[in-house]
Amino acid sequence: MEIKITSTQILRLLYILSWILFIGLCIEAGAFIFNTFYALVINPAAANNTVQGVDLTALYNHDQGYFITQTLLMIIAAVLKACLFYLIIKLLHDKKLNMSKPFNTDMNRFIFNASYLALGIGLFSWWGTKYAEWLMKKGVAMPGIQYLRVGGADVWLFMGVILLVIAYIFRKGTEIQTENELTV
Amino acid sequence: MPIIVNLDVMMAKRKMSLNELSEKVGLTLSNLSILKTGKAKAIRFSTLEAICQALDCQPADILEYKKE
Repeated sequence: MEIKITSTQILRLLYILSWILFIGLCIEAGAFIFNTFYALVINPAAANNTVQGVDLTALYNHDQGYFITQTLLMIIAAVLKACLFYLIIKLLHDKKLNMSKPFNTDMNRFIFNASYLALGIGLFSWWGTKYAEWLMKKGVAMPGIQYLRVGGADVWLFMGVILLVIAYIFRKGTEIQTENELTV
Repeated sequence: MPIIVNLDVMMAKRKMSLNELSEKVGLTLSNLSILKTGKAKAIRFSTLEAICQALDCQPADILEYKKE
């Protein structure tokens, strides 16, 4: 028996996957924000974020300013990632994917926003990585980059640039389609 | 756009309704409306030919250039 996988089924699967990733990223971003706030205001022991395996106790003890900067970069990257998946969910939920007229302003806006977010994630991840490396050079005991959730900056930047190029091509496509529709 | 479509003027001169023109030319009412309201970005020679034939006029009677 042959099993046919349609694009509708794939989109449905991607929609569910996006929801899972979005919830996970929201939890991650929320945990970073809560831990930072808790460590700074209530109990410094919270700098050891055991849930996500991030131990920034040494950094907190070294300098609170450095601690705030590092966590802020991690928070921004995590929030931007959550925003990116929110955009995908919104696009799939609102059913703005018009397969008969794919070159529309909504799709164009989505690709532009996704590219800006990817570039933003890449920028803040790169900044976070460099900042952590600089702190390590200063002799502060830091967890690995993968634990700080700021790894893969180059990949995000690469993706952002590709998306930006696609967005500009899409804009041209939208213009041609509009012109075509208004040709009598 | 500096190109003005005077389709409504010609239609009034010939006392022809949009429905009648649509039937004669073979264009949909929405497309004729796009042309009449000046929203059209381009017009095919075949469309222009059909309109000129139906209204018994020249292309210059329908299209006009005005400096902005």
